[in-house]
Amino acid sequence: MPALVQVSDLTRRAQAGDEAAFETLYREHAGRVFALCLRLSGDRMRALELTQDVFVRCWEQLKSYRGESAFGTWLYRLAVNVVWTANRGDRRREARVQPVENPGVHESQRDAPPIGLSLDLEQAIAALPEGAREVFVLFDIEGYGHQDIARMTGIAVGTSKAQLFRARRLLREKLER
Amino acid sequence: MNEREREIDLPPELRAAVDGLPRSIEPPEDLWPGIRNRIRGRGEGGRGRGREWWVPLALAAVLVLAVALWRATHTVAGAWEVRRVAGAPRVNGAALGSVGALRVGQWLETDDSSRAVLAVGNIGQVDVKPGTRLRLVQARATDHRLALQYGSIYAQVDAPPRLFFVETPAGTAVDLGCAYALDVDSLGNGTLRVTAGYVEFNWSGRRSIVPLGAIAETRPGHGPGTPYVHDAPEALRQALRDFDFSDGGAAAARAALATARAEDAVSLWHLLPRVTPELRRVVYDRLATLVPPPGGVMRDAVLRLDATALERYWGRIRRIAWRHEILRGVRDIDPGTGLTK
Repeated sequence: MPALVQVSDLTRRAQAGDEAAFETLYREHAGRVFALCLRLSGDRMRALELTQDVFVRCWEQLKSYRGESAFGTWLYRLAVNVVWTANRGDRRREARVQPVENPGVHESQRDAPPIGLSLDLEQAIAALPEGAREVFVLFDIEGYGHQDIARMTGIAVGTSKAQLFRARRLLREKLER
Repeated sequence: MNEREREIDLPPELRAAVDGLPRSIEPPEDLWPGIRNRIRGRGEGGRGRGREWWVPLALAAVLVLAVALWRATHTVAGAWEVRRVAGAPRVNGAALGSVGALRVGQWLETDDSSRAVLAVGNIGQVDVKPGTRLRLVQARATDHRLALQYGSIYAQVDAPPRLFFVETPAGTAVDLGCAYALDVDSLGNGTLRVTAGYVEFNWSGRRSIVPLGAIAETRPGHGPGTPYVHDAPEALRQALRDFDFSDGGAAAARAALATARAEDAVSLWHLLPRVTPELRRVVYDRLATLVPPPGGVMRDAVLRLDATALERYWGRIRRIAWRHEILRGVRDIDPGTGLTK
């Protein structure tokens, strides 16, 4: 059983329903959560929606936080879960509908913008295929291990490794282009 | 973190760039007001929601399975079950009892005081309103197809997309997982109103994708018009009718642009491939002002009708439209961003 960390007074007040305390938590963590949502979704407007969703979910689940890890760690894992679930939901919906003028366009691959020597890394990451981008962000930027990623997202460890390999290969190709 | 794994595959300059990325990026706008509104809307009851949420879901799943099983064992091959709801519906001219079968090639007719419900194989149902004449064209597992000559139906289908089709004098409605009302008058002019999911309406290569809360008018010889949301201004609707069905050309398109709101992005997106390249720039600029494209979607790509760019832009527009419609009366959604105001 993991050792418990000290739950801050601020977090306790938010757990008790103190909205002002929760706003302070939002202000402390909004940047980190938004960065995570932005990189995982690859879409700025979508990231704004997801950031809102993360904090609403956080409010709903705050009472379940017992200090098993630092509050930030708990929140970022929650954020990964929210974004992952949302992305999978979008993917399922998109598989059900083909909302385009010409349904044949779904056969085309999503082209990344040309990067060239002046690599815009954020842009290159955003242009990665969804699964590869998600694992790359979690592993190479956020520092989670494959076991962690598998636990948080429900994908197999092997899948996580394969997606990381793919993401790195694609990024390298862009860099060398 | 497995350091070896990190170091093997990323070249040093890329590793350094990745490590140098900021861990925190401030949102470009303050999201707190929207979050506060949402958590106030939930109240205490929304916190730590019931742990038994799965029970009604499980019961619903069992019920759905039971209904599906019953239907599978009570379906006549090459025919759909039809039930009389009111009056005296007729199948191929013969009065329908309380329940009967509509076979491929047969006609179902309702007079001004008759109504019936038609089972769409095992995937849904069609309410047949008074004053309707339709024919069962195909009843295969992969092709459920009606021809609506005139009248009104309300279809609800829960199945993968492109299994249920309704042919009309102005083209074909293709189910993409949805519910919709379809009216066709004696001249073959139609109106499609979508109440869940999406419907594609196509005719001779011209397609409209009609999402929840939107309407498409259809005309024989023209196919589907440009869809509009159900509360679109009348001036916009008329401008679109002029553009789609009366050779209104650039003047009609400009009139549509002049009246369009952010809520009307669905219409403007459909106009992009339908106008001349010169006018497309104007349509794009208006659309981008009302609903900015997602990151990475470039103006020139949209203007040359790049399929990926159009698809990504549409993904954003339909998501905002969906949130705006589904949360109507619950939350005040910004129609330009989809965010809670």
